[in-house]
Amino acid sequence: MKKNLKLADISKNGDAQLTEVNIDELIPLPPPYDRIEELPGFKQLTTDQRERLVCNLDGFVALALPKPESKEEEKRYIGQFVSGLKKLLSKDNNWTFLQPLLLSLDYCARCQTCNDACPVYVASGNNDLYRPTYRSEIFRRLVNKYIKPGGKLRARLGGGDIELNWATLSRLYELSYRCNLCRRCAQVCPLGVDNALIIRELRKLFSQELGWAPQELHEKGTVLQLEVGSPTGMKPHVVRDNMKFLDEEFSEATGIEVKTRWDKEGADVLLIHSAGDILSFPESVVAFAILCNAAGISWTLSSEAPGYDGVNYGLFYDDVQLARIATRHAQIARKLRVKKIVMGECGHEHKALMTVADRLLIGDLNIPRESVMTFLEDIVFSGKIKFDPSKNDFPVTLHDPCNVVRNLGIVEPQRRILRYLCPRFREMTPHGVDNYCCGGGGGLSVMSNVNFTDWKVNIAGRMKFKQVLEAFADRPGPEVKKYICAPCLNCKLQFRDILKYYGAWKKSGIICGGLAELIVNAMVDIKKPFIEWGER
Amino acid sequence: MSVFLVVLTYFAYVFIIAMYSAKLVKIARMPVHLRWELYPVIYEPKSGHGISYYEDIKEWQKNRQKTVRKGIFFLFMENFKFSEYFKRNRGYWVVMFPWHIGFILIVAFHILCFFGALVMVAGIPVSAESTIILGRTFYYLILLAGLISFIAGAFGNIGLIIKRLSDRDLKSFATRQNYFSYFFTLVVFISGLYAWYFVDPAFSQYREFWKGMITLSPSTVESATAAHIILFALFLIYLPFTRSLHYITKFFAYLWVRWDDRPNLRESKMEKNIEEWFNRPVSWSAPHIPSGRTWAEITSENMNHEKEP
Repeated sequence: MKKNLKLADISKNGDAQLTEVNIDELIPLPPPYDRIEELPGFKQLTTDQRERLVCNLDGFVALALPKPESKEEEKRYIGQFVSGLKKLLSKDNNWTFLQPLLLSLDYCARCQTCNDACPVYVASGNNDLYRPTYRSEIFRRLVNKYIKPGGKLRARLGGGDIELNWATLSRLYELSYRCNLCRRCAQVCPLGVDNALIIRELRKLFSQELGWAPQELHEKGTVLQLEVGSPTGMKPHVVRDNMKFLDEEFSEATGIEVKTRWDKEGADVLLIHSAGDILSFPESVVAFAILCNAAGISWTLSSEAPGYDGVNYGLFYDDVQLARIATRHAQIARKLRVKKIVMGECGHEHKALMTVADRLLIGDLNIPRESVMTFLEDIVFSGKIKFDPSKNDFPVTLHDPCNVVRNLGIVEPQRRILRYLCPRFREMTPHGVDNYCCGGGGGLSVMSNVNFTDWKVNIAGRMKFKQVLEAFADRPGPEVKKYICAPCLNCKLQFRDILKYYGAWKKSGIICGGLAELIVNAMVDIKKPFIEWGER
Repeated sequence: MSVFLVVLTYFAYVFIIAMYSAKLVKIARMPVHLRWELYPVIYEPKSGHGISYYEDIKEWQKNRQKTVRKGIFFLFMENFKFSEYFKRNRGYWVVMFPWHIGFILIVAFHILCFFGALVMVAGIPVSAESTIILGRTFYYLILLAGLISFIAGAFGNIGLIIKRLSDRDLKSFATRQNYFSYFFTLVVFISGLYAWYFVDPAFSQYREFWKGMITLSPSTVESATAAHIILFALFLIYLPFTRSLHYITKFFAYLWVRWDDRPNLRESKMEKNIEEWFNRPVSWSAPHIPSGRTWAEITSENMNHEKEP
């Protein structure tokens, strides 16, 4: 396996693994997480997996792509890929992102300024494979060679020739899911080139032309959401039953009535949570019911599929699925005649429905949409609820979901809440629009095929975990309970995996939860602590 | 020879303007795209913290006025300062900054030569001894622009070649065409420097050449100056085949993508524009996309067929 990768290596030795990741080459973590021998290590791919699946990248497999059965099959895929490239560069098929794509493809200076902004590349110990420029430059050269007039001749004369073969295709597919789409690289590019956008377009090509996408995002993601209502598999009656159960349970636990409102026509607010919260972080959705009722807000949830699940994985890989889900959300809001839609604590829901889909929703589907951050800020500072900040007297730090800050510009409301309600709030460095991704961005947090979780917690999430530990460095031990406030379901899922992998609850007393729970925890009317400490 | 130089120079300018215009028109006429902005957006009042109007929609709705002037000015100045490179990639900046200053000034040099020639056509001598201040001003500006351009450009060019060859990160992404471009531009700068030093220390031949260009009465220049004129003309013809347009496309990338936070308002021009693209058919081949149907048909379909118990 090569250490110093060249761009053309992507097309060579198709069955062989292109590079490897060694745990001792990753950037070190603060103690006690610097003792590599105490960590579980990477799960190695089995012989059976290596025989059945394409495992030719970095020793990790996220996509479980079966090996083709014949050379003809490989050729067919290559033909489809070239056909997809043409469509990606056509107005009718890709009006949605054609201009941004071409501006990023054609004018990169290859100055490598963006590399150090990428948390994956830096955390990996500068592994060439994970440079933001590596995969996008390969993609750029394929476009130049196979789509532009005289491309093959220019590639031969001018250099930079990369052959499009099965090795290139299969590795690029897997490699397109080694990016969090966090866009830190784009933020530092002096020319406005967006490598994350290029990678999303690459994913889109695979999905929209070849029908290749991670099953967690497609079959078990957007398809399930459109057909059933939610990637969790919950159908409308199941969601209502679950919430009814949670209302009863938390009413008993908190001593105040918890009541979820359903399908109330003409409500001021349609709140769309990520349904995954109902299953994985139920206290989050309950906290919203408590706050909305206490503040006297006219609000409702929808029980029409998929109006009870705000996730939109189409944002990560497929414009058609993105548009379908956003349209359904808007149709449901229109049917309920609500005044506005409020996003739940879900970063990519914000990005998908508030901005990206802004130019997909026309006419009466263009319903006002608001972030949960400003919504919660209004509640907290409305004076309708009494708070006692001393109830939150434990170290709290804030994780900024990329899709809320860097991609949406909502930075301060959540901070004003935390400064008011959490006396021991401290920032990570860097934060706000310069934050590091949790490592689960770009859809990766819900992907756990084969041994991909090991990659997510060791590499993609490494910078963030390091940041968290540094933010709590004044109280490192488990005797002081500490709270990472991550107002995004996908980020929480990634944190859950990280904290579990490193044993961070036992070693450091760290848990992760949302923002609404912290607010409810500080309510005077809540007699028992709302936040439960312990491994999640 | 003199006629050839004039024809070649005219052709080079017409060619580069036509090619750049065609490329820019192509970019500008692309369809409206989905929003993909990245914060901070420089127009926002609190852009220093990356804050958008989404933090205070009510206030923003009262006053939607924004100006792109701030953004254009920022980008324009960046084309001279390259401060992002200075901040994040200092080793690269040290060589790319003089290289780009070389380009900017070589363009300025030719623009000044053109206007200086107009001044000469108007009967005002352009020289250090000119009794008219305009003539002296053009003389010194042309001299300074040309000289700094050739020296800075050549220095940066040599530095960039060394940097590309010695820095593993840069080397692995460089192509033969990159090195060809570097050597070609180096030859252009060096030829200018050579002509100035050995043949034309006051650029008087160059000014006369430009006067001849305007009056269509070509003047004779010595071979070193002629060589530089030819090389510069070839350089102009070569530029459209490189990434050089990033000087301008950068404005599009920022103004139309990275900072494009314009909302889609009901019954707006943008909405009509989007509607037009919504009614176009798609031909993607994946099983979940019904090829041949329009975006509007595909996205408005309710795929949920579950019945409530």
